[in-house]
Amino acid sequence: MRKKFVLPAVLAAIGALLLVASAYASTGSSSGVAGKVAKKGGTLKVNVSNGDFTFSDPGLAYDTLSWSMLYTTQMLLVNFPEKPGQAGGQLYPEAATAFPVVSKDGKTYAFTIRPGLKFSDGSPVTAAAFQRAIERNLSPKMGSPVGVNVQVQKLIIGGEDFLAGKTQKISGVSAKGLKLTIKLTKPNPTFVSIMGMQWFGAVKPDTPYSTAGLNTTPSAGPYTIKSRDAGRNLVEVRNPYYKGTRPANPDQIVWTVNTDSDQSLLQVKAGQADIDASQPPAAQYAALGDQFGLNKKQFFVGPTSCILYYALNTSRAPFNSLAVRKAANWALDRPALLRLSGKYSGSRSDQVLVPGVPGYKRYDIYAIKGADVAKAKKVAGKPLSGTVTVFHSTSASQTARAQVIEYNLKQIGFDTKDRPVPGGLYYKTLGTKGADFDVAYAGWCADFFDPFDYINVNLDGRSIQDANNVNFAYLNSAKLNAAMDKAASLSGAARATAYQKLDLTIMRDYAPWVSYNNLNSVYFVAPRVSNFIYSAYFTSPDYNALAVG
Amino acid sequence: MTAILQVADLKTSFRTDDGIVKAVDGVSFSVAKGQTLGIVGESGSGKSVTSLTIMGLNDKRAATSSGSVLLDGHEILGVSTSELQEIRGTRMAMIFQDPMTSLNPVKSIGWQLSEAVLVHKDVTKKAARDRAIELLEQVGIPNPERRVDDYAPQFSGGMRQRVMIAMALINNPDVLIADEPTTALDVTTQAQILRLMKRLQDEYNMAIIMITHDLGVIAEVADDVAVMYGGKVVEQATVAELFDSPQHPYTWGLLGSLPRLDSKADRLEQIPGQPPSLLRPPSGCAFHPRCEFAFNRCPTEVPPLVKFGGPTHLHRCLLGDDTRQEAWAKKKAAMKVEAAA
Amino acid sequence: MFYFLVRRTLWAVALFIAATVITYLIFYIIPADPAKLACGRACTQQDVDRVRHFLHLDQPVWRQYLRFLWRLVYHQDLGRSFVNQQSVNQIVAGGAPVTASLVFGGAVFWLLLSIPAGIYSALKPRSIADRASMTFVLFGISAHPVWIGLILGYLVGFRLGWTPIAGYCDFFSPSFGSSCGGPVQWAYHMVLPWLTFMVLFAALYVRLIRANVMETLSEDYVRTARAKGASEPRVMVQHVMRNSMLPVVTILGMDIGLALGGAIFTESIFSLPGLGRRVIQAYNNNDLPVIVGIVVFSTIAIILFNLIVDLLYAFLDPRIRLS
Repeated sequence: MRKKFVLPAVLAAIGALLLVASAYASTGSSSGVAGKVAKKGGTLKVNVSNGDFTFSDPGLAYDTLSWSMLYTTQMLLVNFPEKPGQAGGQLYPEAATAFPVVSKDGKTYAFTIRPGLKFSDGSPVTAAAFQRAIERNLSPKMGSPVGVNVQVQKLIIGGEDFLAGKTQKISGVSAKGLKLTIKLTKPNPTFVSIMGMQWFGAVKPDTPYSTAGLNTTPSAGPYTIKSRDAGRNLVEVRNPYYKGTRPANPDQIVWTVNTDSDQSLLQVKAGQADIDASQPPAAQYAALGDQFGLNKKQFFVGPTSCILYYALNTSRAPFNSLAVRKAANWALDRPALLRLSGKYSGSRSDQVLVPGVPGYKRYDIYAIKGADVAKAKKVAGKPLSGTVTVFHSTSASQTARAQVIEYNLKQIGFDTKDRPVPGGLYYKTLGTKGADFDVAYAGWCADFFDPFDYINVNLDGRSIQDANNVNFAYLNSAKLNAAMDKAASLSGAARATAYQKLDLTIMRDYAPWVSYNNLNSVYFVAPRVSNFIYSAYFTSPDYNALAVG
Repeated sequence: MTAILQVADLKTSFRTDDGIVKAVDGVSFSVAKGQTLGIVGESGSGKSVTSLTIMGLNDKRAATSSGSVLLDGHEILGVSTSELQEIRGTRMAMIFQDPMTSLNPVKSIGWQLSEAVLVHKDVTKKAARDRAIELLEQVGIPNPERRVDDYAPQFSGGMRQRVMIAMALINNPDVLIADEPTTALDVTTQAQILRLMKRLQDEYNMAIIMITHDLGVIAEVADDVAVMYGGKVVEQATVAELFDSPQHPYTWGLLGSLPRLDSKADRLEQIPGQPPSLLRPPSGCAFHPRCEFAFNRCPTEVPPLVKFGGPTHLHRCLLGDDTRQEAWAKKKAAMKVEAAA
Repeated sequence: MFYFLVRRTLWAVALFIAATVITYLIFYIIPADPAKLACGRACTQQDVDRVRHFLHLDQPVWRQYLRFLWRLVYHQDLGRSFVNQQSVNQIVAGGAPVTASLVFGGAVFWLLLSIPAGIYSALKPRSIADRASMTFVLFGISAHPVWIGLILGYLVGFRLGWTPIAGYCDFFSPSFGSSCGGPVQWAYHMVLPWLTFMVLFAALYVRLIRANVMETLSEDYVRTARAKGASEPRVMVQHVMRNSMLPVVTILGMDIGLALGGAIFTESIFSLPGLGRRVIQAYNNNDLPVIVGIVVFSTIAIILFNLIVDLLYAFLDPRIRLS
């Protein structure tokens, strides 16, 4: 359902930084029943409704589904553990013996690979495996049509020349035996987190380049892909040479893609499938919750990185006025908007950041429990009038939500004009500078849990261009931009604290959005499935940990 | 000479959405081997239904029949379908008006002829095919060995009717019912087909019931004739009697519409008016609305079938014998005047 | 016969070009940018341009179309997916057997139901059975395949547990890891999809066959057959059936195209990895090469199938053969 989006710019950072990731904490709330020792064996049958892996090649894959699958096959330098809640969001050195040693200038990262690691074909994992992963990510011979690799080249010295086809090797990456050294163009506090992305898992040093991606290639994680028939299925088996501690409970994991979500739910109920990776139909959440109980044995709900909001167009009247934007934040009925998505579909929010992102703190600045018309009128300071244009996509759920907010806006004195835009054109229209709207639905899902990916990406006014914008509020405040730069340059606890303050400042003193929903992921598993560990990072269970034996 | 087929007081009615249609209302006649009975009348007079009732080919769900049909002394009206199937095609056969549609377009002629043999006789396909070729030859199809494998659309109308005749005769039936066999054909072909039927009747010594609206055909082939109107026989006679002294004004009308070689008229006389509705037939004599000689009794009394002259001449006209002869004389004179003009 | 084939072939080529040109044009009229979609939301204009060049989308439409034609004619290559660079030939080759299983198996099912039902209705008009089958016709014509599929999946697959709820098994050599394979499992998994097709199409065919049989029953040659003493079963089989099935053969040829449309829904509901499912997926992703590839294949398949039907018709009906 969601694509992950490219890390849009290189972080400017100063100072020598160590173990950036360790300062980050993820707060996945659901836990499941890890309880007893999970039984091994059996075949885990996963349906993927209305979707398929775009690629099973880690050099090309870039969607949450592919990543949650690759998580079971990949060995990364640093990885997330199969642990519930906050612990699951904290990186640990997996293939590396420890977090990297970073040079004084913050530009050289040195990893040491554990000895004795093996690929699923028995060959050893050395530093060259990770060098190859970076090369496959940037090589013009992979020619990634999805454009996923387009920013990493700017991080690493020699990356741009390599991408342009001028060199055969990336000069900034060297591998000698078990030593991997990476030289960066600039210090980067998030580089360790970036190495935790699935693109950088170990591949054999002779793995070829392929524009179409390889369906199967030896991997060093607990599982390996045995076969893939695109559009039909993907089969994983245990990696016989994996000696690590990560769980590998099912003997096999069989993914059947492009299933129908209604029939898939029946299959899971009947035990003909174990889980639908695309979640059950939203209309069924409430009934499933009532019947099976929340986070008990079969029905699980966990938070995602996604925040849904209404962007207020700060580039023109009436929302160029902070008081009016605040009024809108008091006037919009967040619980009503959530109810339209069904029970369990998310949590109310009036902030930019979501739980799990370092620096998140719940503020309750506005009317989070329902519309407060009196308060809205009061903060507006003057009687509101005129017509506001409401943008929404033509989908049924967006149309319904637009009706709610139009009602809310009328309550505080506005007239509204309804502007439905076809789904395929929605973000293109909205992202074009000067688009004729005052209020527009939007949503954001993070690539990785860093506040930069929410605040700087969506609200830095200097990034506004003629088209393809993501700053839908078109907010451009020099003071705020400077504060964002400052926060982005920090690391560790200081970074978290800075963003925590920034989150409050933005919503209280700028109010460019009416945030309303931190989306949940909802999963329903067959009766025989146990050991459900929810990863807020992948917004999915750790499939290798699910037990069906 | 004993009659091979005797029909007595035959009645057939159909249930329709609008009500009961009395298509045949008390018809009696008989025909002997080697003889031809002509049944003549306009469309809707009940002549075709009479023949289909004899063959048992009416739609059972809609039609009810009563009376008696004796084939060689055995009642065949109302017997089981399987008994009827044994009789059809062997003892009684039928040919139809439109040879263009009466043959199955997707089966070869030989197949259809052989089928007529094979459904009744336990013979080899080869024998049935040989018999088919033999019959095709008898009905005058050139190159029958080759043409036996052709399909109906490859034959002309006249040739198809010959094929139909061949199919009807293939099991040597006692009675052949021919329902307007020449209507769809041109005049020359008509004459050929009638001559063929006459010749084959002599060879096979069968009774023929010739159903037609054309007294010319009757004159050519029939021995006896029954004139039908509104589901009833209105006049019944030998061919000589009918043409010499027709007794029913309807017959006069039919005679008036007959083309004569001595006539110079461009246009044949038509009987004025429409054939009667069988759903709501006129009261009394069904012909009275169209009859130029109708008088006060005609709309109220249903005329009985009465004898005139010899025992073979019957009619249903309420006019007194003398009045009728006068009327016929007048009518004949008028027809001659017109013919001379 | 020779001219017939030449004429049909020329028609087929014209049809093929029309179908692909229309697909291309519609695709370019839709104001969505596949390069942008492939690239992602946060792509800069520069990235989008790079992707556009990589996908040859920066060329004019006619050049892209000629490129496509050239590749197809000289290399029998339908190109690669915009989204995941899969070979479209492989996608079509993988999906076609599934769709063929569905459509032809479905056709067998609906004919098996509609021929007896249609004949019975024609022989006993206004009987209880006739009224029942006419009610079924109304139901089948009104119902949507998705609805039928969901109901069947729920009742037969889930409540009764008689069949799998969804999924597909290969007829030959199942791929590794598939839980099933072989003719029996294949048929077992296809039962509900076939039933869906049956409800959907049998309705039309019961009506069609009923009307044809009733019409044929009133044909003069049927009366001729009865007049020569043929038994009712014989009349039905030898004279009525063949003639009343001729139009059915023609309609069947035309309906194979319609059935491919029905396959889109049925395959989606029952998770069958066929062409219909693939084309919907490609449509959602603006994946032109896959859409065009499937359109090309379906067009050729429909043209070929109609040609076969025409030849079959000529074989069955001497009037066509001899003219």
